[in-house]
Amino acid sequence: MTEDNYVGYEYPTYDFTVTEESLNRFMVAIGRQPSSATTPVAPPTYQKVIEGKGDSSRKILENLGIDLKRVLHAEQEFDYLEPITAGDRLEVSRRVSDHYFKKNGTREFLVVESEIRRALLPQILVGRSRQVLILRQI
Amino acid sequence: MSLSLEALKPGDLVAERVFGPITGDMLVAYAEASGDSNPLHLDRDIARKSGFDDVIIHGMLGMALLGNLLTDAFPQDNLKRFSSRFVSIMPVESIILCRAEMVEKSATAVVLKLEASIDGTDKTVITGSADLSLPVAS
Repeated sequence: MTEDNYVGYEYPTYDFTVTEESLNRFMVAIGRQPSSATTPVAPPTYQKVIEGKGDSSRKILENLGIDLKRVLHAEQEFDYLEPITAGDRLEVSRRVSDHYFKKNGTREFLVVESEIRRALLPQILVGRSRQVLILRQI
Repeated sequence: MSLSLEALKPGDLVAERVFGPITGDMLVAYAEASGDSNPLHLDRDIARKSGFDDVIIHGMLGMALLGNLLTDAFPQDNLKRFSSRFVSIMPVESIILCRAEMVEKSATAVVLKLEASIDGTDKTVITGSADLSLPVAS
């Protein structure tokens, strides 16, 4: 795929079920106690785990033909519409929304946007994210 | 625990806390819990070949620490948007100082400016922003 076609690329939609085990493991890994709540709420950055399932970020770059060694994570943004809790069945869609250059063409950027919805109808939007990657010249 | 946002005004420090030192074992645990298996965070030889002295801390783990600062200070239901820019790398074993400062306030919302730095230095590693809704749920 050539760089002219990056924008609009859509990664195949996939499902993600939030388990108590996955949430608690993440809580411990970021220095929190495992939740004692009956339905633990996902901490704010857990959305990254949901959108990263199956190494999706790496696969998006591979599918675009971008060498992973060029890639640095520059920015990350999350929007929270509904709480995400253990037991939720979610559907994740990810697409490349922008590709641009800065500093006279020397700095190259790629933007990947994700939407997390409830898997069951009506598929309510629970979270959105936007990630900006720098593509280095190597 | 929730702060009285009513008493705070733009420019005030809202929350401040150090986390760490962030050890290599913590990076392994974060990689397992998040699914991010980038070797720069796990394999010293690969990190050195990439020009670093040792493995580096996941940017998303740094963002998770800022998230901890927010969820320690406010009910998570009030968090509507959370963003980070990863401005420089965090070496393994760093102690990370996280700070949140109020920048804007209206009747229904608050915007916080976030910063993570290497404790004891003036080296900023992450800058960010958080949008919270008011009133804060009790």
